[in-house]
Amino acid sequence: MIEFQPGNLRVPKWTRPVFMVAAGTTDYRKRYPQKKLEELCMMAFRMLLEENDLKMDPLEVKGLINFACYGEFADHFQDQLLCEAKVHDYLGLDLLPNLGIKTGGATGGSTLLTGAMAIASGMADCALVLGWERMDEVQTWTGNYYIASAACKDFETRLARNYASYYAPMARRFQEMYHVDERVRAAIAVKNRGYAVCSPYAQQAGRHTVDEVLSGEIVSDPLRFLECCAMSVGSAATLLCSEELAFKLTDKPARVYAAGGSHTLRTGDRRPMRIPLLPNETEEDYRELYKEMEKQDGRWPGFESFGATRFAAYMAYRMAGVKNPIEDLDLVETHDAFTISDLQTYGDVGLTLYGKEQDYVTSGECYLINPHTGKQGKCPANLSGGLLGTMHAVGATGIFQAGEVFWQLQGKYDKFHGDPKLWERYGKKKPDDWQSLQVKNPRRGLAISHAGVGSHVVCSILEKA
Amino acid sequence: MADKVQLKTRPSQITAVDDVWLLHFPRFGEEGTHYHTYGMLTPYFRGLGEGRLMATRCVNPRCPISKGHGELWLPPRADCPDCHQPMVWEQIKDPSGYIYAYTHVERGGTGLEIECPYYQVDVKIAGVCTIIKGYLLDRKPIKIGDKVRAGFRTGADATHTCLDIYWELV
Repeated sequence: MIEFQPGNLRVPKWTRPVFMVAAGTTDYRKRYPQKKLEELCMMAFRMLLEENDLKMDPLEVKGLINFACYGEFADHFQDQLLCEAKVHDYLGLDLLPNLGIKTGGATGGSTLLTGAMAIASGMADCALVLGWERMDEVQTWTGNYYIASAACKDFETRLARNYASYYAPMARRFQEMYHVDERVRAAIAVKNRGYAVCSPYAQQAGRHTVDEVLSGEIVSDPLRFLECCAMSVGSAATLLCSEELAFKLTDKPARVYAAGGSHTLRTGDRRPMRIPLLPNETEEDYRELYKEMEKQDGRWPGFESFGATRFAAYMAYRMAGVKNPIEDLDLVETHDAFTISDLQTYGDVGLTLYGKEQDYVTSGECYLINPHTGKQGKCPANLSGGLLGTMHAVGATGIFQAGEVFWQLQGKYDKFHGDPKLWERYGKKKPDDWQSLQVKNPRRGLAISHAGVGSHVVCSILEKA
Repeated sequence: MADKVQLKTRPSQITAVDDVWLLHFPRFGEEGTHYHTYGMLTPYFRGLGEGRLMATRCVNPRCPISKGHGELWLPPRADCPDCHQPMVWEQIKDPSGYIYAYTHVERGGTGLEIECPYYQVDVKIAGVCTIIKGYLLDRKPIKIGDKVRAGFRTGADATHTCLDIYWELV
C-alpha cells in the first residue's frame, strides 16, 4: 500500500520481554565437502550450548528447549524439502515442535523474529533459533540462476539470471541521484573484508585497497567482483529465553526487540509514497529531498532506498525506545550482500538522513576507529566482516549477525574471535596482525536482515540487559 | 560482437486452455516439464507476440488511490491492489520512454537466453505508475535519461515470454 491507515502502523507490543543468552556458528566456506549439512548445524548447536559460559551443563540447557525455529533460504540448492526435520532429528530434538521459516535473504532475521514471538507470547520459554545454507552442490553460475528465481519469474528472471544484475540498477540510480563517488562504495568493501581478517569464521577476508576493488572484474556494472558477496556454506544459531530463565542461564543476557517490513519483489513496482519518519526525523528534514526528487523524476523509496527496511526500523525503534539511532545504537550489522546495499541502508535505518548516506560513510562513524579522529566511530558497522567478508550462507546470515552483536554486547569479541584454538578448529592460523574489534562498552546493537532487492527486512535490536 | 543484441533461444511452447496460456518449462525432458500459467495476464504476452503493449488500469471510482482514473500498470495486474477490483486492459500505442536505471550485464546465470554483454534497462513510460524492466538491443554506451522505444518479437520470432519486448535507443 502507498497510504497507511491507522491500523497499519500499530507498534508491536510483546506480552513479555525476550532475551538472548547464547550464540553459535560454524566457519563459512564457499565449498564445505568435509561436512554434511546436519553435521554443520551440530557444530553451531554445540558451540551455542558449550561455549557461552552458561550456568548449566550443555545437556541441561538442551533440556530447557521447548521450541525450535529453523531458517533455510532455498530448498532447490540441496533438492531437499523438509530439511528442518532432518536437522531437528540430528540435533536430538524430537518430538519437540519446529517451524521452518523462509523469507529469502531475510530468512535468518525472520527466524529470529519467529523465535522471539514464541517467547514473547508464552508459546515457549526457551527457543532454539538456527539457520543454514548449503550452496555448494552446484556451480556458481547455476547457483546464480537459482538465486535469480527470487526475481519475478514472469517479468524479470529471464533478464539476467544473475542476482547482482537486479541490484546493479539500484546502485546506478542511487549513484546518479546522490552523486556518489564509486570510491565510497569501494571503501565499504575494503572495510568489511578487512574486518573479516580478524574473524576465524570468515570465508573471504582480505586486506584490499580501493584501487584494487575498482580495478577488479565487473560482475554487473557498476558492481565489481569485490563488491559482491559469494556463495557460502555454514550454519548459525542463537538461544532465546524468557526473562526468568535468561538470568538463570547467564548474568549477561541481551534483551531482544525485532520487527519486519516488506515490499514488492520487482523494484520498479514500488510506487511513490511519503517517507515514514523515524523518531529523530521531521518532514522539514526532507523538504529539499522531495524537491530534488521532483527534478530528477525520483520517488521514495524507488530504486534508491528500501521501504521494507525503513518500515522495520520504524517499528523496532519504537519497540525498543530508540529515539535517535546514531546516539542510541553502538554498533550495527548491515546486510552488505553488495556494497550498495550497505550504503543504502544507512538512510533507511536513520543513522543519517536519506540523501546523506555517502557523507555518513566518509565521516568515518561506521568504522571501529574513525580514520579522521582516531577515536571509536559512533556506530561501527559490520565488525563481523559482514556478508562481503565473512559469510552469506543465506538462512544463517541474520542469525549470525545477531549472534555477533550479542557477543559484542557481552564483551566477548576476543573470546569468540581471538582464541588461536578456535582458528585451528577450522584449519586456520590466527593471523599475526589480528586485532580486537571489540566495541568499548556497547549498550545497544542493530542487525538488519534483508531479502531480495528489499522484499523482506527484519530489524533486530539487542540491548544489554 | 554484433551491434545489436541477439537472443539465443527457441520459442517456448505454449498450451492454450480456454483463453489462458500455459508456458512450457522443460526442465527434465517432456515428462519433467513445468506448465506455468500466465493466467489472467495472458493478454499481455499474447499482445507482445502481435506487436502490442498491453497494460492495465483501475477504473473503480471507489478505489481510494485511483478514484476511477488510475495510471497504467506495467507489468500489468488483473486486480487492483488498492481496491481489489478487476482492472481494465488498454494498449499503449507506439510505446516509448526513458531509461530510469540500468546495468550492463557482462555475464548471466545458467540458462540465460540473451547474448552477453547487454544492457538491462528499467524504462519509465509516461502515464505508467510502475517502471518496467527489459533489455536494450543497442550495445553503445547509454546513460540515465536516454530515450528508448519498444520493439517486439512477433510471429515465428516470438518466444512467448517477457523477452518478446525489447527497447532501442531513439
